[in-house]
Amino acid sequence: MQFKCNQTLPERAIHIALKGPDGKCQRGDGTGCFIANNVATTPGDMTERGCTYAGCRGVVGGPVKDAIQLTHGPIGCAFFSWGYRPHLADSDFHMKYTFVSDMNETNIVFGGEKKLLQSIIEASAEFPDAKAVFVYNTCSTALIGDDGRDVAKQAEAIIGKPVVFFECEGFRGVSQSMGHHVGNETIFRQLVGSIEPEGDFSRSINIIGDYNIKNDIRTFEYLFEALGLQIIARFTGNVSVDDLKIMHKAALNIVHCQRSATYIADMMKEKYGTPSINVTLWGIRNMAQALRAAAAFFGLETRAEEVIAHEVTRIQPYIDAYRQRLHGKRVFIYQGGPRVWHWIELLRELGMETETAATTFGHTDDYEKIFNQIPEGALVIDNPNVPEIEEILNRRRPDLFISGNKERYLAYKLGVPFVNGHTYDTGPYAGFVGMVNFARDIDKALHAPVWNILHQRARPAPATHHAAHGFEEVES
Amino acid sequence: MTSCLTMQDRAVAINPTRSCAPIGAMLANYGIHGAITINHGSQGCATYPRHQMARHFREPVEVATTSLTEKTTVYGGKQNLLAALKNIWERFHPTMIMVCSTCLSETIGDDIPGIIDEFLDKRPEVTIPILSVKTPSYIGNHTTGFDNFLKEIALNLPDRRKKKGETNGKINIIPGWVNPGDIRELKHMLREMGLHGLWITDYSETLDGGYYHPRPHFPRGGTTVEELRNSSKSLATIALQRHIGGEAAHIYERRYNVPAHVLTMPIGLRNTDAFVNTLVEITDHTIPESLGVERARLLDALVDTHMYTTGLRVALYGDPDMLEGLVGLIAEMGMIPAHILTAADNRSWGERMVELTEELEVESEIILKGDLHELHKRIKQRPVDLLMGHSKGKFIAEAENIPLVRVGFPVEDRFGYHRRSIVGYNGATALVDEITNMIFERRATAIVSNTLLETGLERPTDIPITLRNGAAHHP
Repeated sequence: MQFKCNQTLPERAIHIALKGPDGKCQRGDGTGCFIANNVATTPGDMTERGCTYAGCRGVVGGPVKDAIQLTHGPIGCAFFSWGYRPHLADSDFHMKYTFVSDMNETNIVFGGEKKLLQSIIEASAEFPDAKAVFVYNTCSTALIGDDGRDVAKQAEAIIGKPVVFFECEGFRGVSQSMGHHVGNETIFRQLVGSIEPEGDFSRSINIIGDYNIKNDIRTFEYLFEALGLQIIARFTGNVSVDDLKIMHKAALNIVHCQRSATYIADMMKEKYGTPSINVTLWGIRNMAQALRAAAAFFGLETRAEEVIAHEVTRIQPYIDAYRQRLHGKRVFIYQGGPRVWHWIELLRELGMETETAATTFGHTDDYEKIFNQIPEGALVIDNPNVPEIEEILNRRRPDLFISGNKERYLAYKLGVPFVNGHTYDTGPYAGFVGMVNFARDIDKALHAPVWNILHQRARPAPATHHAAHGFEEVES
Repeated sequence: MTSCLTMQDRAVAINPTRSCAPIGAMLANYGIHGAITINHGSQGCATYPRHQMARHFREPVEVATTSLTEKTTVYGGKQNLLAALKNIWERFHPTMIMVCSTCLSETIGDDIPGIIDEFLDKRPEVTIPILSVKTPSYIGNHTTGFDNFLKEIALNLPDRRKKKGETNGKINIIPGWVNPGDIRELKHMLREMGLHGLWITDYSETLDGGYYHPRPHFPRGGTTVEELRNSSKSLATIALQRHIGGEAAHIYERRYNVPAHVLTMPIGLRNTDAFVNTLVEITDHTIPESLGVERARLLDALVDTHMYTTGLRVALYGDPDMLEGLVGLIAEMGMIPAHILTAADNRSWGERMVELTEELEVESEIILKGDLHELHKRIKQRPVDLLMGHSKGKFIAEAENIPLVRVGFPVEDRFGYHRRSIVGYNGATALVDEITNMIFERRATAIVSNTLLETGLERPTDIPITLRNGAAHHP
């Protein structure tokens, strides 16, 4: 089994698998089973992957709302990571401002430590209300050997606030996934547990791995609070530095994104004995399960059933209506990691089936979960490149492509309906209420009149005709 | 009336107005039909600019990367670049490959031209040009990458075998960092004059394409490599931005004996006149009636709007060339470019701007090496009525409750701005319309500058004036 576009790149075969009869998988090279993942991208491959800095600054550290987000490096890294991910909070300092030590050629030759120190001091003086300075290392400053950790220590003594140095230079690791790891570890090492507050934390939780994209938290936090639980820290989305310092007091960690944030839950388990549960906060059944699991831990089962029943009754009519319109549609999901397996079940609740699943930086555990959930005949592909995405969209003709902003315009050029699952077209999509938004956006994507115009005028046959070709046409 | 030149004095950059060099080279390479960029560095150095360009142009932007990781960083990126060249060649058969460097590959010292030569030696069947462009982010900014790419084109692509007096009858035009809409407007002007332009480079279609079935292998449009080879036989080269393409124009003059004309970006009446006059000078063509009509329409718009715009204070930020052109139109509208801020560290440009603003009889503060945080502080000290620049200025506009007229790159929070033009008579007219409408939208009734009121320069007596926040003010 091989993609036409991969004739010149045979090593891609081990990254592709089909789910065969009886749940058996067929890998592209005909030998192994589980597809290769979390390995370096082939050079020249038009990958959609980002770098470690992106994972650390863009995903984990960036949403902390009252920290100065300072990039130690050249301007580009800071400019491009500024405000493109809508990780909202109840104040917008972190979205409005980006800071960079702005390395120039002289600094690269003679070292940037002095400039970094000065940058931290100046930034802190300009924004005295900020609670900490987060410093992110980049390729160039790592290569010239700037000792950012030492500078951070010196700066901390001068400004009297935590200066957290992230060793997240872009060339580390094979994708942005390494950046999540660095972000988790650094925040845990430097901030978590640095304050021991008094009080009763017996019914407190942390929400781990939700980044409050387009205010996702508004759709599920009130549900946990309705159980009588207190949320200490959101790791990380609408979170302050002070919240991170005391997050070790929580009685339970609720882990949502199990790729980018499991690390901190594991470290907290080891050091503080904090138990954690893995949940999915998207979809009706998933959200209900998450509430039940949290409630079970605290002995609040009855309350949980009341909350769930109330919410489900509220949204079910909408879901039923959308389900009628979305039923039977086939979906290609391509997300960073866990969202793929988070959403297979959710799409099924809307009557849709995931026919192709791909991740940018998924690891083996992600692919196991994906594989267990997808139907027979579905395709799984790791770190797909642009020609592969194009070939999948052309050959399998999914009814819907769920991916990120970069891939959006390719889908449109091929006439394939698209929903932005990465930064959301509208959102929020989490929780019970968000599920209605998600269904509404999928409906908008699928049923916009523009597709009829395209199919009539610019394409010889409608999408259903192409579906018949399915996977058979891909050469074996 | 005196303008002043200042330089921001701070190590840390807060809310920069500029980005980094590789994106400039990638953008320019998108103007060559069938060309592919290989970004030699970490994956983020390709993904981030792609994402930024997709947000501005709303088109698929595809760039290959050599995906350097720890190991390749230690041992050098040669094997990765060789593999990338092979894979891109075999998979896409592009018409040209451009390899741009990054902080990473420059700092580890990869000899990119040497690696390309080695690749070409091993693969005699590869006959396409493979250019390398130096684009480390720590030198210059996004305009530097664009300019370096144009220099590489001028040095490497044009055919040197030219018989004496041989000409293709075309004019090389280097538009610089503009929008697809701008290139289309310039093409329209040349067409009206009956001239043929050779565009270095032309992304007016590749980054603003339509829906075609089947989707073409490479986006439609773009200057072909063949045309670029032929560009040494053109009548003249006109660079419409001094800092993006000015050097390349001079290379054409020195190497291929193609006369260079380096102009101010044709924004506004006077700057557009200069462009048209240069075309006339080069070709002896007369100015057609149709362009005269467009010019008359711009004049009409300036007349019709002057009561709403005269005396308003504007803050401008962005790339030096765009600012230089824009100041012309701002002055023609009777507005005062009170703050002109660029991130570039370019003293000679700053001094020229001081002269220019004095010549235009406006008083400006020109800020070099500046960022948006600095601009915001200065606006707080000396308020303005209007802000002009890319999308990132929206935070100042919101905080100070002044309109932001979006020009430049990136405009990521509005739709269709890449299709508009700000150059030529038509572009200027459209910009006059937009500026005036922004003013109307803010203050439908008051036509007196708020800043004049607030700074007490022209305080009227007795009559209540509606202030910026809508409250009635009785002096």
